Amino acid sequence: MNTSLLELDRVNTYYGDSHILFDVSLHVRRHEVVALLGRNGAGKTTTLRTIMGVLSPRRGRIRLGGKPIEHLPSYAIARMGLQLVPEERAIFGQLTVEENLKLAALTAPQAWPLDRVYAFFPRLKERRRSGGKQLSGGEQQMLAIARALIRDAQVILLDEPFEGLAPLILRDLVRVSRELAEQGRTILLVEQNVVAALSFSDRVYVLNNGHIVWEGTPHELRSDPALMKAHLGV
Amino acid sequence: MTPATAVPELLLAVVLIAAPFTLPYAGGSIDMLQRILDWGIIGLGFDLLFGATGLLSFGQAAFYGTGGFVAAYLLVNNVIGSVWLALLIGTGLGGLFGLFVGVLAVRRIGIYFAMITLAFGQMAYFLENSPLSAYTGGENGLPGVPVPTIGGMRIEPGIPLYWVLAAIFFAGFVLARRILHSPFGAILRAIKENALRTGLVGHSVPAYKLAVFVIAALYAALAGGLLGVFQGYMPPDAFALDTSGQLVVQTIIGGVGTLIGPTVGATVWLYLHDNLQLIPGVGALWRLILGLIFVGLVVGLRRGIAGQIGAWLQRRMSVVERPDDAAPVDAPREPAMALPMIAPLSRADADAPALCAIELSKHYGGLHAVEHVSFSVREGSIHGVIGPNGAGKSTLFKLLKDEVPPTSGEVRLFGRRITGLGPARTAQLGIAKSNQLNQLFLELTVRQNLRIAALARSRGTFRLDLLRAAGSIPAVERQIEAVLDTMGLAHHADAPVHVLPYGEKRRTEIGIALATGPNVLLLDEPLAGMSPAERVTTRALIRELAQSRTLVIVEHDMDAVFELAERITVLYDGRLLADGAPEQISRDQSVQDAYLGGLHEYEPA
Amino acid sequence: MPSLPLLLSQAFNGLALGTLLALVSSGLTIILGTLGVLNFAHGALFMVGAYAIFVVAAATGSFVVGLLVGAVIMLAVGVMLERVLIRFFYDRPHEDQILVTFGAAIVIVEAVRAVFGGESQRVAAPDWGGGVTQLGFLIYPTYRLELIGIVAALLFALYVVLYRTSIGLVVRAGIEDARTVGILGINVRRAFLLVFAIGVVAAGVAGMLYAPIVSVDPDMGATFMVESFVVIVIGGLGSYPGAVVGGLIAGEILSITSAFNAAYSEVMLYAVMALLLVVRPQGLLGSEGRV
Repeated sequence: MNTSLLELDRVNTYYGDSHILFDVSLHVRRHEVVALLGRNGAGKTTTLRTIMGVLSPRRGRIRLGGKPIEHLPSYAIARMGLQLVPEERAIFGQLTVEENLKLAALTAPQAWPLDRVYAFFPRLKERRRSGGKQLSGGEQQMLAIARALIRDAQVILLDEPFEGLAPLILRDLVRVSRELAEQGRTILLVEQNVVAALSFSDRVYVLNNGHIVWEGTPHELRSDPALMKAHLGV
Repeated sequence: MTPATAVPELLLAVVLIAAPFTLPYAGGSIDMLQRILDWGIIGLGFDLLFGATGLLSFGQAAFYGTGGFVAAYLLVNNVIGSVWLALLIGTGLGGLFGLFVGVLAVRRIGIYFAMITLAFGQMAYFLENSPLSAYTGGENGLPGVPVPTIGGMRIEPGIPLYWVLAAIFFAGFVLARRILHSPFGAILRAIKENALRTGLVGHSVPAYKLAVFVIAALYAALAGGLLGVFQGYMPPDAFALDTSGQLVVQTIIGGVGTLIGPTVGATVWLYLHDNLQLIPGVGALWRLILGLIFVGLVVGLRRGIAGQIGAWLQRRMSVVERPDDAAPVDAPREPAMALPMIAPLSRADADAPALCAIELSKHYGGLHAVEHVSFSVREGSIHGVIGPNGAGKSTLFKLLKDEVPPTSGEVRLFGRRITGLGPARTAQLGIAKSNQLNQLFLELTVRQNLRIAALARSRGTFRLDLLRAAGSIPAVERQIEAVLDTMGLAHHADAPVHVLPYGEKRRTEIGIALATGPNVLLLDEPLAGMSPAERVTTRALIRELAQSRTLVIVEHDMDAVFELAERITVLYDGRLLADGAPEQISRDQSVQDAYLGGLHEYEPA
Repeated sequence: MPSLPLLLSQAFNGLALGTLLALVSSGLTIILGTLGVLNFAHGALFMVGAYAIFVVAAATGSFVVGLLVGAVIMLAVGVMLERVLIRFFYDRPHEDQILVTFGAAIVIVEAVRAVFGGESQRVAAPDWGGGVTQLGFLIYPTYRLELIGIVAALLFALYVVLYRTSIGLVVRAGIEDARTVGILGINVRRAFLLVFAIGVVAAGVAGMLYAPIVSVDPDMGATFMVESFVVIVIGGLGSYPGAVVGGLIAGEILSITSAFNAAYSEVMLYAVMALLLVVRPQGLLGSEGRV
């Protein structure tokens, strides 16, 4: 049965008085990789933060596996299997790589053994005793994703994972993302880098000024350059 | 804040005159009255420091003690004969000590500030107790302080000395009120609301904080000197931590920000102290009861007695309407008064572009947020800056206004280098910025918000104008009216900003930048969060503003940027990707790639 | 110039005082770092510890039992204070937090005064701590030596908890970024309660151990509290190693200065703090950007 694992139903989020998300509805099925695209300021990060409980929607519903989560605190949502990999990565600089991973695994019911995570990210194994703040941008991004993996998250929310990375690291990371997708992980990916995102997603939503303006497949999007330029380009 | 009337002064005068005749019947005494007034004097200065500016000091006892012991020492040892002169010297030295501590303390905020003042208060106490005990009498204090004379006539302790104290207190109150309602006072309150924005519009926040800290020290030192005089004795515990702590408790109980609050609190404290002690059983518990009341006030009310009365009075006297969310957006119109723009202060080079970035770089450790960016902005034009997320646009804006120092490179305003001057000085030179996320003075009215900005350039980064009224500078008021008109905020000018709908808050945000009368205006996502109708109005406004000044805009609304800008700079990954006219940019393939994903190496084979 | 035995004796006193300051300041700094609250009631809690052992040791005749039961009492006090008062202030401005803990301190001190009176009490040193010990040419009170040992052990235990256990991991991560800790599935508020309780117990146990050396009265905590503020400024806000190093340095400054001129010992400490604020405001081991 391929029903929706994660579902947003007419979600409206505000920052104080500022209305950021307008009736945002989307769904992600099990084993799907869904990309949420749009220029910055469109509300993509706000969407992920709302799902993760960092922000509370003023109206609308969010369901994980059928259960409503829109007013739960972040830690409860994390324990239900949702994991956000934040845009700013939010690595604990004062902790070592291994401590970062152990911390993430603390409340996971079926945490991965460390070795399995290291098999995915050999570079992290080399740096396991380094302090978080000594890692490069790409390594920090890997660690951030690794924290989600070690929790065996049901749904991974990736917030602009490809931003600000050198081309070599970028290639590595896209490869990792593809592997995760092939393994059947459920991913909601927010990205500005359209090409990278389209290279491994199954379905696409486009967000513009807080409204969902388009939904379809990567192929459909690529074959309509006018559409791409209007909502995503310049 | 409503314009100053003379009502509080009149009321105070009446109370001061009636008190010595009525209070003794209610369980008070002349001695208690004098102690209340003495606390009231320290409290006036402390309320300017904490109530108005938000700086919580736990060390006022240091200055209280300094003023008191210097004056007492000079008098007791016959170094100086005149009590008035001794008080003056004591107050002055207390102020000097305040200057010293202030310089170390005011660059820190919140926690650090409280700790530093606490530590210096303690240090002064220990100094007084041991090393300097030859001068201060150590644990015994200094007895034998004489009473003052006026025209050769001694002022006896008791009622005659009370009148002197009352007169000094009254004068201190009048002065404190003038300060609060002056431009200086308006800036103090702005600092409490939003210190960052206060600095951005051109005021030197550390200078103002230091000034009010010294003023508070002066009040405290004067009160210390007077303590010795009316008691005839200078007690060692003037320096104690308890003294600073008692001041804080009294201020909260009486009401922060009311100037008279500390006096009211002192009345409560001393009344309970003198009277409850006599009741058997209750006696020792009065401080416990007071402590519980204090905690209760901090948890719940927080306005204190005087504050609560004041708020109740205000509610009865004015009608505060809450503007409804559906208020129509004012159409743009030609401003009734032309928006004055102060001419650039200095032009190194008559042909220089309005704003010029030269090889600007900003590195945060290994992260190169901005890398070798150079571009120039023609005077009178609208210049757009675009780029995908993480491209470095916000950092660039901060560099343009010198909010952060660049790792290398420089910025020139009309040919003059402004890198290294800091955001307040650059604002004074004519470059202002409005922020993506509103940075407003929420508790103040729209008019007051604009006044803080408008006061900046006419007064320089710091001016000690303590005595004039804040709204009394005609040029400033004209500027405010012009901005209110242009931004369509006139009908809500006197509403506190926090009740306004989002669109008007956004217009206030831009209005604050505009009110500094800038030659170059940086707008960071001015259209963020606006409805389609508001976008239309704001775009028209931007076009209008460009007729009299230079604009640089960061925006994601591509239609707006391409419509408005004469020239567009594209940033990608911290570097300049393209720079040219809109048509060029939209045809540039590398720009399209940057937005859509650039690198093709991982496209599916 | 003071004699060598005097200097040595003062150096040991500095160690005793320093380790106690380190313990008190550790509690203060982890509360500040994790919860963001500057606990102005910390000195009062130190005093409560001293009274706790006064009561229990007198009732049971055993110092050790007094320590253990006293620690439990402090734990209860800490939990109660956090649940009833402190936790409502996490989102309020710093000034409000300072004011409410300051008020709590007044209430605690006055309540103790109401129950026990204002006269100073004596707490006897334990039997195993009586007398003096010969250290080379120096004769030194035994209890103080044992105190150094006990507190050093406690500081080590705190280190183990912070750096080798899961809860310590949560605390250290929480000091850096409490929100992300929540995103990783951990109920941070519950961790806050634990951190506050640990901090209170640290202050209270220091008070218990200090009690036999001084006279116990309701106001004994004030000076210690201000000194612990100075310690965390020297060591760096939110840094446990900083509190330990800062505490030892402060203890030595106080004790050794008083060997030269007792009148200046306190002043010297504040002068050092002032100097550090100018030269290195984030403290010896603190991180920049916290100022």
